[in-house]
Amino acid sequence: MNADSSTAYDRDSAASKGLALCHSCNRVDRVESHHCPRCGASLHLRKPDSLERTIAYAAAAVILYIPANLLPVLRLEAVTGAHQNTIVGGVIEFWQSGDYPVAAIIFVASVMIPILKLFAIAALCVSARTGRFPRAMTRLYRITEFIGRWSMVDVFVVAILVAVVQLGGVLSIHPGPGAISFAAVVVLTIFAAGSFDPRLIWDAAARHETRAS
Amino acid sequence: MRPTGVTTRSLACHDCDALFSAPVMKEGERVICPRCGANLFINRPDSLQRSAAYVVASAVLFFAANIFPFMTLKQEYRSNQMVLFQSVTGLIHQKDYAPLAILVAIFTLIAPTLLILGLLYLLLPLMRRRRLPGAVALCRLVSTARRWQMLDVYLLGVLVSLLKLGKLATLTLGTSFWAFAALIICLSLALGSIDLRELWARIEAAK
Repeated sequence: MNADSSTAYDRDSAASKGLALCHSCNRVDRVESHHCPRCGASLHLRKPDSLERTIAYAAAAVILYIPANLLPVLRLEAVTGAHQNTIVGGVIEFWQSGDYPVAAIIFVASVMIPILKLFAIAALCVSARTGRFPRAMTRLYRITEFIGRWSMVDVFVVAILVAVVQLGGVLSIHPGPGAISFAAVVVLTIFAAGSFDPRLIWDAAARHETRAS
Repeated sequence: MRPTGVTTRSLACHDCDALFSAPVMKEGERVICPRCGANLFINRPDSLQRSAAYVVASAVLFFAANIFPFMTLKQEYRSNQMVLFQSVTGLIHQKDYAPLAILVAIFTLIAPTLLILGLLYLLLPLMRRRRLPGAVALCRLVSTARRWQMLDVYLLGVLVSLLKLGKLATLTLGTSFWAFAALIICLSLALGSIDLRELWARIEAAK
């Protein structure tokens, strides 16, 4: 691929005119300025090493996803006996006790969103190469960025339960190692989505258009 | 500010990089990217006054949420009161879980504090078209803190916790919980009342 800006970037874009959008304050300025004259952030035409960083964060998240689901997130000791909960175990427990709405909420936040988010990131990385369906993919990017934080809910549940039952006595609650892996998965997928640059999709789409015509 | 020619009036889409010149906008109008549909700029009515008012309310509520008891647990003859920051300190006392405590602290205490105090420091002087030293650096910090605060997610966590423990013990919600719930509403109204691009433009124009 030619590094010349007239072919590397789509021709309706700011980048093809040598203009960079400040990622911090959204001001448009010439990229040769290096730093935004308004807020001082460094200027780039595209997020640097966007795809490499996104893939690295997502790969780390996939690996940690295994201990996050196999290890217990919570250890509960009551008079009736001690038991451990994994993420999925917590969902099943709510389901069996008839709390269907809660079971559904935790299932969506803790099981579905992380998996869907990883698939979405994979699809985005592919479309940054192929440039297919740019509008739909940009929308997918926006959704991916927005929903990721809700997976943190299970980590907060652990923190709250540990805090409220701290005296011990009849009931005691301790966090499990799965909680750390799970929190790491959530943070890594947030970083992965944050390092992805959706403008790459439009660049790729423009490249394919010029090749076709 | 030094003049930079044509570029100051240019607008580029943050999602697809489409370039066009900024239209003149009336209050209440928004600019949507014609190519990808992203919300580029919303000119909110009375943006500065409204967001400043909501931020002041948020600051009061955040203070209240942190000093009053959040939840009380009753099991047989014991009762245990929990304050908001104990969801952080509770984890610190657990061996090996300090990293988790740091994360929870960032999401529920540090980021919201930076966000609320930062906005107070920026918005109140801006009402007199002034900016205090460090406003530019602080505004960058505020937009980062905005992404990392997770008060709303924490609230969902509280509701799940209530149901999870409901069968083993009695949990009651304290004053702080209601302040916390109101805080989430006020803070999202404060952030929704002013466009970040407008905030930057006002900081640039202020002295």
